[in-house]
Amino acid sequence: MCGISGVVGLKNISELLFEGIRNLEYRGYDSCGVALMNKSNLIIKKDIGGVEDFYRKHNVLRQKSNIGIAHTRWATHGKVTQGNTHPFTSRDGNFAVVHNGIISNYRPLRDSLMKEGYKFSSETDTEVIAHLLEKFFKRSRNPEKALVKTLGLIEGTFALAFICTYLPGQIFCAKRESPLMLGLGDEIKFVGSDFNAFIDHTKNAVILDDGEYAILSRDSYVVKSILNEEEVTKPITKIEWDSETSKKGGYPHYMLKEIYEQPQTISNALDLEPSGLDEVVDMFAKTDSSYFLGVGTTFYVAKYAQYIFSELAGKFIPPISSDEFLSLANIDKKTLVFAMSQSGETFDTLSALKHTQAKGGKTAAIVNVMGSSMARMVDKVILQGSGPEICVISTKAALSQMVILTLLAMKLGLKRKVITKKTYQENLKSLKDLPAIIQGILNERSGFIHRIANKYCKNKNWLYLGRGIYYPIALEAALKMKEVAYVHAEGMPGGFLKHGTLAMIDDEISSIVFVPPKENKELYQSTLHSIEEIRARSGFVLGIHFTEQGKNQDLFNEELILPNVPPLIAPLIQLVIGQLFAYFTATSLKRNVDKPRSLAKSVTVG
Amino acid sequence: MKAIILAAGKGAHLSPFSDTRPQPMIGVAGRTILDNSLDLLKSSGINDIFVVVGHKREKIIEALQEHDHDGLNIHYVEQKQSRGIGNAVMQVKNKISPGEYFLLLYGDILTADNIFSKIQQSFHAFKSPVASICLPPSNQQFGNVFLNAQMDITKIIEKPKSNNLGNYVLAGVFILPASFFELLESTGASMEKALKKLVAGEGMRASMWEDEWLDVVHPWEILTANKMIMDSWEQSSIAKTATLESNVTLQGIVKIEDEVLIKAGAVIEGPCSIGRGSYIGNNSLIRSYTSLGKNCEVGSGVELKNCVVMDNTQIGRLSFIGDSVLGENVDIGSGCMTVNRSVDWKPISVRNGKGPTTSSGMSKLGAFLGDEVVVGAGNMIQPGTVVHSGKIIPACYSVTHK
Repeated sequence: MCGISGVVGLKNISELLFEGIRNLEYRGYDSCGVALMNKSNLIIKKDIGGVEDFYRKHNVLRQKSNIGIAHTRWATHGKVTQGNTHPFTSRDGNFAVVHNGIISNYRPLRDSLMKEGYKFSSETDTEVIAHLLEKFFKRSRNPEKALVKTLGLIEGTFALAFICTYLPGQIFCAKRESPLMLGLGDEIKFVGSDFNAFIDHTKNAVILDDGEYAILSRDSYVVKSILNEEEVTKPITKIEWDSETSKKGGYPHYMLKEIYEQPQTISNALDLEPSGLDEVVDMFAKTDSSYFLGVGTTFYVAKYAQYIFSELAGKFIPPISSDEFLSLANIDKKTLVFAMSQSGETFDTLSALKHTQAKGGKTAAIVNVMGSSMARMVDKVILQGSGPEICVISTKAALSQMVILTLLAMKLGLKRKVITKKTYQENLKSLKDLPAIIQGILNERSGFIHRIANKYCKNKNWLYLGRGIYYPIALEAALKMKEVAYVHAEGMPGGFLKHGTLAMIDDEISSIVFVPPKENKELYQSTLHSIEEIRARSGFVLGIHFTEQGKNQDLFNEELILPNVPPLIAPLIQLVIGQLFAYFTATSLKRNVDKPRSLAKSVTVG
Repeated sequence: MKAIILAAGKGAHLSPFSDTRPQPMIGVAGRTILDNSLDLLKSSGINDIFVVVGHKREKIIEALQEHDHDGLNIHYVEQKQSRGIGNAVMQVKNKISPGEYFLLLYGDILTADNIFSKIQQSFHAFKSPVASICLPPSNQQFGNVFLNAQMDITKIIEKPKSNNLGNYVLAGVFILPASFFELLESTGASMEKALKKLVAGEGMRASMWEDEWLDVVHPWEILTANKMIMDSWEQSSIAKTATLESNVTLQGIVKIEDEVLIKAGAVIEGPCSIGRGSYIGNNSLIRSYTSLGKNCEVGSGVELKNCVVMDNTQIGRLSFIGDSVLGENVDIGSGCMTVNRSVDWKPISVRNGKGPTTSSGMSKLGAFLGDEVVVGAGNMIQPGTVVHSGKIIPACYSVTHK
């Protein structure tokens, strides 16, 4: 078991050869070697150890060449020594060979070659190939004929490749039982044990069959049969490959990856330097005129902030959507405008902050991208440290912002004596439990959410209902649905139903209700009331609720039951469900999840 | 990379169809599950394939010889006794060199898109053992694979006891190192235990599969599989040598193979596939999701709907076959009906041999007739009926000469 990689191109291929052989390292990593060509001299480098160490130690990338073959070895014949490492050269140094497989008759071949005066420098079976090539080349003066003659003599299994000084722009290769395939690029050709050797550069492959050999040059290739040297017409296999996949690390989409990263990003948020948060808390404490600012998802984060600051810090801070800021905000020197942005480049939010500063107001922000315009311009910035968010739909950045805002509200509440030290500590514990609870939900409930999303993905209209702090959750969850699945979803406070919306309830509009835990008695009761109003009109209700609430079978048409959690973090957990519901609806509808239509990652235009 | 396909198992739940063939040889949408896997493997860049055969192995070997899988090197390894999945995997131990990684596939797994490309991409990224995971189509199949954000599998629960667990399951496609054989040896060839050991030791990453996926376990899932493949079709194909007489109507996507003869007045509503050499009689109605095998004969005035009919089967005139699976060489007399729903529209239960009755969860389901079954004229077949291979059901007369 070894890996073979080879490249021939127009320019220096040293780097490509390195990538290719490194991608084959899983096939063996005892030792590694390369053969390159300088004008028409072979350069051979080899050593024991892994590919990267070898390349560093021998400064291989400094060698420039437009052709090369490389090998990573898993020892079968001969020990792991530099001498036993491929490539092997012929006696006269004109052929360099790499080989994967086992030559079963190498002993008799070696003995007879030794009698003819060939010296062997290694214990391997491969070296006979190099010498045989030289021997037969001397007769025919034709490397191809020498190859065919050599292949006729050796028994056993092989995938091999060689380059020679006589035809310095060609790679010769052959296969019997060990795997070998060709990669066809424009002005560049590859050979490899499998397509890991070249898949980042071309998706067009020719898979060699047993008993075939091939000759590659940068602009052409030919495959022939070893038996009769006749050309074989080979189909080109188009390898289905998504070059982004390795970056997505096994996840089908960045959105899901980022949803799964939330336990980590929340932990990061909770580990933020307390002094930085305290400074912001002081800013809030010093003024009676402050606003939360955001647009799109971050406006809903701002709305969440309004509820949590009211509850925990006893402070009324209105949220303003950045695009409407100029029409609404009254700024003076005491005003604090606190913004949220993932990118820190959101045009509308930046404009609003500039306006605030021009009027002498104070500014602060939670931003994910370090060094962004917003991070630089505000008086005080909290960098949320959620890592790059690549999916256009914001998930982990928004949830982390909500966690940070909860923490800020708690700190302000403690400072203003709205909550006791004890409550503060209890709340802090709940927040610290949040990552593990989300991890648990991702690992134990995804299937249920997927099944329900799959079942109802054709629904055209959804009402997302929540009361109290569950209202911004409903808004944000509905926005996810709109953004990624292109399904009409409207977030609304439960109390709005009887003020007109109930007239809309029929079998074409379905409702999702975010039910608070029973501990929130009033909210819980009023939410149930909303559900009954819908059910009384034969509307469909999907309830997202917590266990231990007794039997709710009759209340919902469909339900998603969550484990019991502290009320403080219950809305955040329901948001995760909302994210997954939107995600699975989008995949069921085959939407372009990571790049949905009509949306850019950071909206930098007005 | 080499691929290993496990095709030795008996698949007892798939009786009567698995009694006479290995599970992967069941045909859906005009091709066997094995053909589907081989095509996907090939387009994912794999051409060295070891098929572990056992139960009815001759069926596989014959079919693959006959079938032209250009460019695939297919080898057979025999599992002499049916001793579980782990033991089947052990049969290929000497085909894999130390340090080599191989792709392992359970033969009864069906996907329309290329799950093998996807897992190889994940492997390309991780360079460590990988298991494909997916969300199964029904709650009954839920297991639980626990992950962290880096896609490391942290725990596997194959059959959760609690109803609260519902998550990703192992999709039956893996990329494993040769050292996995040692794990199998150390666990008495238990696949489940060896995978757990791998997770606890070297570690295993997950590759999420989100497209359709099906583990064909029960006979009615043959219909689901058939629909899944037909839904992935993009275009019709009609062989040059097929004959369509006057006034034949084709709608939607239809695949009609060589030497098919469709008589005047027949209506084919796609997606449908009609295998080589088959005959469709006058004024027949072939409705969507019907897959006819090779050399089938459908008499005049027959209605077929959502059914899989395997090779060389005959359906007599004025019959209705719906939501049903018919094996090879089945002979149905004229005027037979497969009733496909109960009066109350409740899901149809299926009783397979002496085993327990299982609910299919489907409110429309017809019958499952094994290979060589003969059904005499005029029979009315109860929903969910299983008829075992070779059984002869006499004709049903309302007026006789006695």
